[in-house]
Amino acid sequence: MDQLTVTQPIVIGIDAGGTMTDTILVDSNGHFKIGKSATTPMDEAEGFLASAEDAADAWGISLESLFSGVGVVLYSGTGMLNTLLSRTGRKLGLITTKGLEDMILMGRGLQAWADYSYADRLHAVTHAHPDPLVPRRRTHGVTERVDQFGDIILPLYEHEVHAAAKKLIADKVDAICIMTVFSHVNPTHEKRIAEICREEIRAAGADMLVYTSHEVRPVIREQSRLNSVLIEAYATSRGRKQLKGIEDVSKKYGFKYGVQTLLSFGGLTSIDHPRLHETMISGPIGGILGAAYVGKLIGNDSLICSDMGGTSFDMGVITRGQTRIENEPLMDRFKLNVPTLHLDTIGAGAGMILKVDPLTKKVSLGPESAGSDPGPICFAKGGTEPTIADCDAILGRLNPDYFLGGKVKLQVEKARKAFKEKCADVLGVGLEEAAEGMIDMLEADANNALRRVISSQGIHPSEFTLLSYGGSGPLHLAGCSRGIGFNDIITFQFAAAFSAFGCTTADFMRRHSVSTQIDIGSRANDGELEGFGERVTAVWNDLTKAAVDEMIADGHAREKIKTIPFLMMRYTGQLEDVEVMAPLSEIRSVEDMRKVLAEFEAVYAKVNHRVSRYGEAGYSITELGLIATADKVKPVLVKRPLGKPDPSSAHKGVREAYIGGRWHKANLYEMDLLQPGHEVIGPAIIEHPATTLVVHPKDRVTVDEWTLLHYSHA
Amino acid sequence: MSSYSKEVIADLVAGTLPWPQTRRVMSAYKDDDRFFKYVAVLQDRVEWKDPILLPVSDHLFICQSGDERVTKCECGHSFGDYRKNWKLKAHIIVRDTEESLREIYPNSDLPDPEWMEIREFICPECGTLHEVEAAAPGYPIVHDFEPDLEGFYRDWLKKPLGGE
Repeated sequence: MDQLTVTQPIVIGIDAGGTMTDTILVDSNGHFKIGKSATTPMDEAEGFLASAEDAADAWGISLESLFSGVGVVLYSGTGMLNTLLSRTGRKLGLITTKGLEDMILMGRGLQAWADYSYADRLHAVTHAHPDPLVPRRRTHGVTERVDQFGDIILPLYEHEVHAAAKKLIADKVDAICIMTVFSHVNPTHEKRIAEICREEIRAAGADMLVYTSHEVRPVIREQSRLNSVLIEAYATSRGRKQLKGIEDVSKKYGFKYGVQTLLSFGGLTSIDHPRLHETMISGPIGGILGAAYVGKLIGNDSLICSDMGGTSFDMGVITRGQTRIENEPLMDRFKLNVPTLHLDTIGAGAGMILKVDPLTKKVSLGPESAGSDPGPICFAKGGTEPTIADCDAILGRLNPDYFLGGKVKLQVEKARKAFKEKCADVLGVGLEEAAEGMIDMLEADANNALRRVISSQGIHPSEFTLLSYGGSGPLHLAGCSRGIGFNDIITFQFAAAFSAFGCTTADFMRRHSVSTQIDIGSRANDGELEGFGERVTAVWNDLTKAAVDEMIADGHAREKIKTIPFLMMRYTGQLEDVEVMAPLSEIRSVEDMRKVLAEFEAVYAKVNHRVSRYGEAGYSITELGLIATADKVKPVLVKRPLGKPDPSSAHKGVREAYIGGRWHKANLYEMDLLQPGHEVIGPAIIEHPATTLVVHPKDRVTVDEWTLLHYSHA
Repeated sequence: MSSYSKEVIADLVAGTLPWPQTRRVMSAYKDDDRFFKYVAVLQDRVEWKDPILLPVSDHLFICQSGDERVTKCECGHSFGDYRKNWKLKAHIIVRDTEESLREIYPNSDLPDPEWMEIREFICPECGTLHEVEAAAPGYPIVHDFEPDLEGFYRDWLKKPLGGE
């Protein structure tokens, strides 16, 4: 342990979730320590600091020496999401193509029930559209029309724009958003509308921002494009303020550089990022990045990462090295146009509130979560509804004196009493039996979700390695993974801060893209192919310039910036794209173009199956893009020689734990003290201040040379 | 099981409970004590003291008035014994001409008054519109329902009514 305290951390990664803010500190040798604290949504800087302090304590240094010594502070938070959820953003006005004024109110049908439980999706009376970000009376239509080829069908009626702008200025909006149809193909009208608005704003001596959809995200599908521009205008100012607050406290404690935040497609950017809404869905993304990193270490590129926290169970898939990009994710039930690493989520976590219907005896888990405040009953902070965490405490799986390293004393008696009264007695079964049953249900839900995610990949589970993390991931790992037949199951000493760890493995990144309509017939001749190649290269060159300029503005040296163009492609007629990283930086010949098509086919075969290739249909390029990256210091996991299997050096006692229908004397181990080569045989409980791994009877946990914990079922 | 405070039920009845909370109530199992809290909220709203036994519509209730059970308006006007159709004692506006129908449907298609008329039932004392029915001309005034009060209290609420 002492060797860890000698060095100085160089990277702080902080991930603020809905319940807890996790911190990971990494030094240049790849050692790390984690810290945890409750998230403070009103002023995120508080939770940030508390969490950083917790980690600094674990490392044995002061906050001052921590912040003055680190080179990178990464923060991924919830400020913008909260602005959106609480509807406390800017006052907006909208100018759009005439005839589309009701688009905001109508929205997409699925926005009326997105995020609902399955029962409520069927229960139509609960359906409701999210409150619009712009009221109808501040939405103005102007006559203009551009068609899908970018040709101007109707000219812009400029007098209508002047009138609309004047009205919005009189309404004292904070920002004017502009979204016209097909502006991603031809933005002439949007640009002109913006010019007129700026003229009017100047003339009125007002102070207002103007946002256009083609600048925020020039991508097809106007509803998502509209939501993207609105949310950017609506939520980012407070989000930026929260991030600025984080930067300010970091600097107060001696941090010398700018704070970085995580993009939803898995890169880092400064908090001055021009399209800050791209950082809104960043929390769970860190896990996928971390998984990709661990995958390289262990030599398996098919991974399922599963993150169980207090409220949700997030699953990400990396199939043969490929991550899936979701182009239109949901954010507070708004469809957005932001490329995001694909995640499947179900409501399942340790904070889930348990209910038993007294009439039908039907048990339901959640979907409500007790969160961090009041939290489960055993926290004794005012929670009155039994949760899964209470069951874990009742069954002796959680250590009442070592939760968050002993910072929270769990009141097991209180939990027992409430759980007996509200659940066990209603069901008419014994206390322990009911509590274990609840946990089984949760684990079965997660287990089914994992099976579903794997089967949709069309690949046998035995190819996949399951990575389990999150505060309650290891606690329920055994049940979640039983019987699926994974190649390997891995969890981590730093499971509770794995997402934060993942963030620290990211590079600085920009991702620019634009929608295209390039259809390449299966029998295209050389001349045609060359023409397509030229078109693609022209777009890539524009995007490269835009991305590189932004990164230089962020302070990166030109020679450090690497650019990789990519294409979103499909077989003509399909509905979904795959993302293809271009094998070359530009297309100069027929052969180059053929290489690109071959690369698409290779990726398609990897993601789906080789027999599903269908070149006869021709190819469509729906989007062209470019990723620019610049390196940064990353944590390195240290490889150490395997020692003896006897884990007695980490043994810290014995506790009664109820597993599989009876009480066992379970051995207790301190997770941080486990060394490479150690082998723990269940029933056992491996504890860490921030997480707990339950080893079921006869199951086995082995520690490998990277100090990763491998779980094998009996 | 779940149970809400009287304040929450009052907001729910008044339609002022915020939507996210309303939806949570909708999605949860029904609260056991809802009926009595609901009635207590209504009882607070009316100015008279007769205990409400069953709400009939937004402003119309069946209540225990001395030995009798009567249908009563929020304003206190009594429509008499609850087993008799209270509508017969209300003021009635009948819309059976295009002109009178046009008053309530100014911008849309009208029903054919030869086939259907609209009857509005109004409290003679305070003018509250209690009920509207659409029926064929000549069809008798509809007796919406005659509640089995004893059965409802005994079998569903498990609290038999005193008296009879």
